[in-house]
Amino acid sequence: MSTQIEVRKVVKSFERGGQTLRVLDALDLQIEEGSFDALMGPSGSGKSTLLNLIAGLDRPTSGEVIVAGASLGQMSEAAQATWRSRTLGFIFQSYNLIPVLTAQENVELPLLLTNLSSAERKRRSETALRVVGLEQRMGHLPRMLSGGQEQRVAIARAIVNDPAVIVADEPTGDLDRQSADDILTLLQKLNTELGKTILMVTHDPMAAERAKTVHRLDKGRLA
Amino acid sequence: MIPVRYNLRSLVVRKATTAATSLGIALVVFVLAASMMLVSGIDRTLGAAGRADNAIVLRRGSDAELNSIIDVQKVGLVAAAPGVATAGGGPAVAGEIVVVATMNKVGGEGFTNVLIRGVTERSASLRGALTVVEGRAPSPGADEVMIGKQIRGRFPGVDLGQSFELKKNRAVKVVGVFTDGGSSHESEVWGDVELIRSSFGRAGVVSGVRVRLTSPAAFDAFKQSVEGDKNLGFEALRETAFLEKQSEGLRAFVTALGASIAFFFSVGAMIGAMITMYASIANRRREIGTLRALGFPRWQILLSFLIESITLALAGGALGAGAATALKLVSFSMMNFSTWSEMVFTFQPTPGILGGAMAFAGVMGLVGGFFPALAAARTSPVVAMKG
Repeated sequence: MSTQIEVRKVVKSFERGGQTLRVLDALDLQIEEGSFDALMGPSGSGKSTLLNLIAGLDRPTSGEVIVAGASLGQMSEAAQATWRSRTLGFIFQSYNLIPVLTAQENVELPLLLTNLSSAERKRRSETALRVVGLEQRMGHLPRMLSGGQEQRVAIARAIVNDPAVIVADEPTGDLDRQSADDILTLLQKLNTELGKTILMVTHDPMAAERAKTVHRLDKGRLA
Repeated sequence: MIPVRYNLRSLVVRKATTAATSLGIALVVFVLAASMMLVSGIDRTLGAAGRADNAIVLRRGSDAELNSIIDVQKVGLVAAAPGVATAGGGPAVAGEIVVVATMNKVGGEGFTNVLIRGVTERSASLRGALTVVEGRAPSPGADEVMIGKQIRGRFPGVDLGQSFELKKNRAVKVVGVFTDGGSSHESEVWGDVELIRSSFGRAGVVSGVRVRLTSPAAFDAFKQSVEGDKNLGFEALRETAFLEKQSEGLRAFVTALGASIAFFFSVGAMIGAMITMYASIANRRREIGTLRALGFPRWQILLSFLIESITLALAGGALGAGAATALKLVSFSMMNFSTWSEMVFTFQPTPGILGGAMAFAGVMGLVGGFFPALAAARTSPVVAMKG
């Protein structure tokens, strides 16, 4: 197994009210390819900030973040966007589906950044929806789906471009227990059957139990 | 690319704000298109009567027939000039007198000036499209007139078979109604030149002389001959150029009025479009952040929201242009500043006007939507991660 995510001496500071707030403090982290890791910690511990850095959504104040062999700090903003579209799959706490697009159209979105034909995009998005068990709901708008189903559509969107890494930010935070269990089972399946590297931020100990490795953050450092 | 259906459906979802903004833009496009259609109607009305092989001779320094006076005995000098065509065994020349009469409008809506033209037997043949559509032409020397189609029934007695007073105690009978291809003549009363001269105390003079030339190319020689004798004080103009000059003032007035109103309204409409787009983008920050997180670059977000704004404006533009086109069914009268008489105009929609109005709507969408679209493009992808 090779290292899929490597965080080296990363510092992230924010300016708030004239004061410098150090959210991540010389943090080191390594995640192997094909692992399913959970990131836990109290509010303000830096979990989401770390996830944003690993996902190429933000830049560290210092240090280096390397994901799937790419050093994110060296990339321009446009290059980071292209890299995200090819390398990452996103799962958000509030699903973040586009409300005016159908389930199939939402899943197809990442493929619009590729050179695939319309027919091929449709075929792949249908396959992804089949993987999450929503092949019967392809034409439904998000408001016609339950929370659990919306999150499954979001997962289908996250895997449709066959990314190396899936980042999940509180994927079960807005769901009831049963739906949360279903989503976690699906994530485990993606990890074990499809070999996806998954990094999940969560507050939920039961969700963290499903991961192979749990990292605990406190005041910007790994505990 | 972000699919256009995303923008279209987002507009449909926000029905009320989309409709309100579109209506604002529709109003601007309506005003602009209507004024352009009116200018087109003025061009048609005042320009339709012109022929390239016709000339008009006026007293030098007169802008219009109304303030030109030519001794009737000098009409023969014009007829003898080179390049004058012959018709019916004589020169194709008509010395006409033009006066205005004040008439009350039907229904007690006040009064207005009507142009009265004293004509000869040759006058009708010098107009390309003049046709008596009902009744007959007035007989020479008789107290009879014919009226243009556009003023029929607009004044008491001004209708076929009825009588009205040209001047106090000088009643004339309407014996015919004519059309002239939509030209300004259709807003005139035509009577025998002697009848009009005697009624208005203009004995021995005409306002101008209309001439049919052998060809358009004969004009230069004709002009040189007619204007050569400085003592006569004549000025020769091509009929087309003369009519274009006649419409200049009214055309400029309507254009300036329409453009001014459209300009000020458009500023309001663009601000409206801007507010709508800013509000829409503020409500969709997480959606935009998600698109950015998924890898859509800034320029695609900018383009997507510009498309949305332009679509919104074009929907309003289509509504405004459609409503303005319906004005084709309406005719209304305005004062022609060169003759100080009432003239009936219709709105004339053309593909060029409709295309121009839609382009203007598109520009409003582009300008009004640019800064909101720029704000959308600058949305950080981190926004997507915030719950």
